[in-house]
Amino acid sequence: MQLKQQIENWREKLRTGTLNDADLVQGLDQLDKSDSPTQRILYLQCRSSAIDGSVIGMAEVVNGEILDPPDNPEDWPYPTISDAIRDGWRIIKFPEMALLLAEDKTYGLGCEFILEK
Amino acid sequence: MAGELYNCNPTLTDQQVLDFCYQGFLKLEAVVPDEVNRRTVEFCNQSTLSEPNLILDEDWFDQHVIKNELAAGAVRCLLGKNFQLPFIMANHRNRGPSPVQIWHRDGGSIYTRKLDYLQVFYYPENTTKEMGPTEVVPGSHFAQHKATYMQHMRGISTAVSTAAPAGTIFITAYPIWHRRGKSTAAGIRNLLKYNYWRTADPCRDWIIDPDFSFSWPKHDPNPLFEQFKRGIAAVEMFSWLSGEEFEYTGGQCWPAECGTPPMSDQAGLPASFRKYPAPTPSKQ
Repeated sequence: MQLKQQIENWREKLRTGTLNDADLVQGLDQLDKSDSPTQRILYLQCRSSAIDGSVIGMAEVVNGEILDPPDNPEDWPYPTISDAIRDGWRIIKFPEMALLLAEDKTYGLGCEFILEK
Repeated sequence: MAGELYNCNPTLTDQQVLDFCYQGFLKLEAVVPDEVNRRTVEFCNQSTLSEPNLILDEDWFDQHVIKNELAAGAVRCLLGKNFQLPFIMANHRNRGPSPVQIWHRDGGSIYTRKLDYLQVFYYPENTTKEMGPTEVVPGSHFAQHKATYMQHMRGISTAVSTAAPAGTIFITAYPIWHRRGKSTAAGIRNLLKYNYWRTADPCRDWIIDPDFSFSWPKHDPNPLFEQFKRGIAAVEMFSWLSGEEFEYTGGQCWPAECGTPPMSDQAGLPASFRKYPAPTPSKQ
């Protein structure tokens, strides 16, 4: 999202003849920062299998460490899976629907989505 | 003393027993006298074992903690007369600051509507949030899951802290999901943990409120469960505790909830829980 905005800014500067080398260096720096070699994982447990259902559980893996979200669920960054997608997370695993069909036996913590960046 | 059978007066009402079935835990704040709390901490500081079982031989501990009038009275309601006292006393003695523990259900957990034993916790000191009190997930004693499959879980929106003043005892259904909270304060947190067992057949042997209406029970929604599912599990447990044969018959039968409950008993309610006369066929 930030990169897209950056390119829009460059186009505007190009049109007005103000694009310079410093702008491109800044862009390269941003690319370096976003090109982390470590995969980030986001576990989101959701009330339903729909991506707009309420998130009821959350954990993020950063540099190989599983982290707690803020203590207050109201401060969690993603109320729904859709919110995480809009922030650039990609779903790599959907809830195992077949495992949710044992009526009265399979509750767990709702429907788990795993996402990555 | 350890392992003996014990009887005492019941202290819980129908509503409180039903609430325990829904929540899977019951917290009794500051029910142990200060002097006993102080002696317990002193004992734990001298015996830093993970299982200081000898404390069970101390009369003052036996009388005011194990047989505490309110806590044992609640155990008496949930496990019936002549319940068996603990054999083992564990102390989850934690030195803070320390990270949060992973969510787990304790070893040997099984998911059942029967309630044949209870896991009980006692804080002998004020245990603030900064000291890393146990967190529990209400209703999770019915949330079937393998402990090994919950180790990546961290934040759970419905979890609650058991932070409490000294002398607090909280009683849990054994398979409830729990963990030690993150402690940010320096120092020791003692948390004693022990089990009681049922020896009597279940029957509705607590404080019965003749005016209590079982129909259309109202509880806060719990996102862990589909609509009505937690209530169904809870009343199955409550019915088992009452010695009632009960099978949920579906749809709007007991214990489905209702926004504006009618002044009548709910279809599917076991006969012994009825508040109003049973309906009779209309005369043609």
